[in-house]
Amino acid sequence: MIHDREILTILGMLNNEHLDVRTVTLGVNLFDCVSDDLGRLCANIERKIGNLAANLVPLCNRIGEKYGIQVVNKRISVSPIANIAAPFGPKGMVAVAHTLDRIAREVNVDFVGGFTALVEKGIARGDDALIAALPQALAETERVCASVNVASTREGINMDAILRMSHAIKEAAALTADKDGLACAKLCVFANIPQDIPFMAGAYLGIGEADAVINVGVSGPGVVKKAIDRALEADPNMDLGDIAECIKRTAAKVTRIGELIGREVASELGIPFGVVDLSLAPTPTAGDSVGEIFQSLGLISIGSPGSTAALAMLNDAVKKGGAFASSHVGGLSGAFIPVSEDLNIAEAVSKGFLTIEKLEAMTAVCSVGLDMVAIPGDTSVETLAGIIADEMAIGMINAKTTACRLIPVPGKKAGDMAHFGGLLGFANIINVHNATAQGSFVTKGGRIPAPIHSLKN
Amino acid sequence: MKKVIVTVLANDRPGILASVTEAVFQEGGNLDQVSQTLLETQFAGLFIATLTKDISVEELQTKLRKILSPQGMDVLVKPIDEPDTIKNIPSEPFVITCFGPDRKGLVAEITAILARHQVNVTNLRAMFEGGNDPSRNLMVYEVDIPASADTAVLSEDLRTRAAELSLVINIQHRNIFESITRI
Repeated sequence: MIHDREILTILGMLNNEHLDVRTVTLGVNLFDCVSDDLGRLCANIERKIGNLAANLVPLCNRIGEKYGIQVVNKRISVSPIANIAAPFGPKGMVAVAHTLDRIAREVNVDFVGGFTALVEKGIARGDDALIAALPQALAETERVCASVNVASTREGINMDAILRMSHAIKEAAALTADKDGLACAKLCVFANIPQDIPFMAGAYLGIGEADAVINVGVSGPGVVKKAIDRALEADPNMDLGDIAECIKRTAAKVTRIGELIGREVASELGIPFGVVDLSLAPTPTAGDSVGEIFQSLGLISIGSPGSTAALAMLNDAVKKGGAFASSHVGGLSGAFIPVSEDLNIAEAVSKGFLTIEKLEAMTAVCSVGLDMVAIPGDTSVETLAGIIADEMAIGMINAKTTACRLIPVPGKKAGDMAHFGGLLGFANIINVHNATAQGSFVTKGGRIPAPIHSLKN
Repeated sequence: MKKVIVTVLANDRPGILASVTEAVFQEGGNLDQVSQTLLETQFAGLFIATLTKDISVEELQTKLRKILSPQGMDVLVKPIDEPDTIKNIPSEPFVITCFGPDRKGLVAEITAILARHQVNVTNLRAMFEGGNDPSRNLMVYEVDIPASADTAVLSEDLRTRAAELSLVINIQHRNIFESITRI
């Protein structure tokens, strides 16, 4: 018999605290689709994904209904397209992007990720073509997401790649100027990219993964906030150790829901279950914000002094709860602090609590990095490259994942609003110091060597 | 050997279980299962026993009543001779919860729909404290929904009736609660 209190607690989490399975992502290995003929490659890709994903969306909806928990996004991640379509030039890469976009529409998934290149140590021919194709591919497709890994703790930072990516970002923004540079919202530059992220825009299926796999991303910033609020209401004298414990327990519950649903989806599709990624990923809905957790912890706003410490505690407690609840926690697992997708964080930027420098500091202790940050449209390529290089350095030195999803909004300046629509929300454009400076550091190119602790073996 | 179910109702007080189990034991009953509950001040107990002595159900009831009635207990003894068919129907366990303003006949309304779809209620807790505060009026049904049932139609029927009764209804697989709360 299940205790009434348990039932009521869980119903509260589901109905009032925005607990959901944020994403079920079907990873599809495309290496067996490779061909020296572009048409055949695209046909192979279409057939393989079509077969595996045909039932994904209705199945997720049915299982969501069975458990009373909505699976909000259904997505597909594929092997890095830079490898799959390596023989083809930029035009071929764009054609593959169109193929992926078409499949995504056919099987009705929100996004397909994996328009990806891994170039932390060097840029191969396929990588070069993919990076060249990025602006056009992202501007001309609706559902394709791209990621490029330019740094790792083992290999250092590929500064040539960063400069190439900065050009690509500016160009992608220009091609979607009428939508505030929307193409850039589908593009992440990574250090230490995990192979099994279920969340976009970074999702791709790593080379060490199975032929097909289900990865699940669970979120619940609202649940964590409410848990903290309830605990503090019951005992206002709780210290931070007690609050961390409360977050950890809540994270464990949330993770178990993700694993239950992920395993069932995988089992029904007859493919292996991969990981559950417990990340506090917000939506632009009041009550579903990571920023609001900071206020529950007693800070005036995210960005005010103490925020980095609070985020470190939050991120660690989430990871610990996830590790207890599941043996297969992967992806990123932690707290996202995207600016445009979180009402509270967007507001903290507009009120001046949160600057790009403070955001960068906070990314040293959270999942990911400078996420969905709208910056002035006239930010120079070199400044953009500098921001990315700084973020990659944090990832490289601290042996963690960091990423940049920066949107230089064409024709707009700091303080203006950028609107991306839907889940991507809106953001106040953040001020970038020396936005137009033409420094030479990032243009020297080459590779920043890997740190000494990369030598462990 | 014969199986019987002994039902006992009484005003709750210490010592009821001791008296009943001692009496059943004395009359040759070996307990297989016991379930008891308290609703407000009232005790209700169900005792399934296998009889080890040659005694009729009527005789057993008479003897138990003789011992327990003076202690304020109502006793009913019935034979269990039905084959266990319900367990053989493939089904999935769900939990249905309803909140909402109190009114007459809520349980009857919901259970009628469940019965129509051949859904077996394995556990029901209902608390009606009255008024319109949903948290004061709660029904929790643990049910087995047959694999052959059309769950979409069942859900629709329940949701439609619940909406007409101004109830908030949640229908969820039991695993979700098991998975979160049982480690």
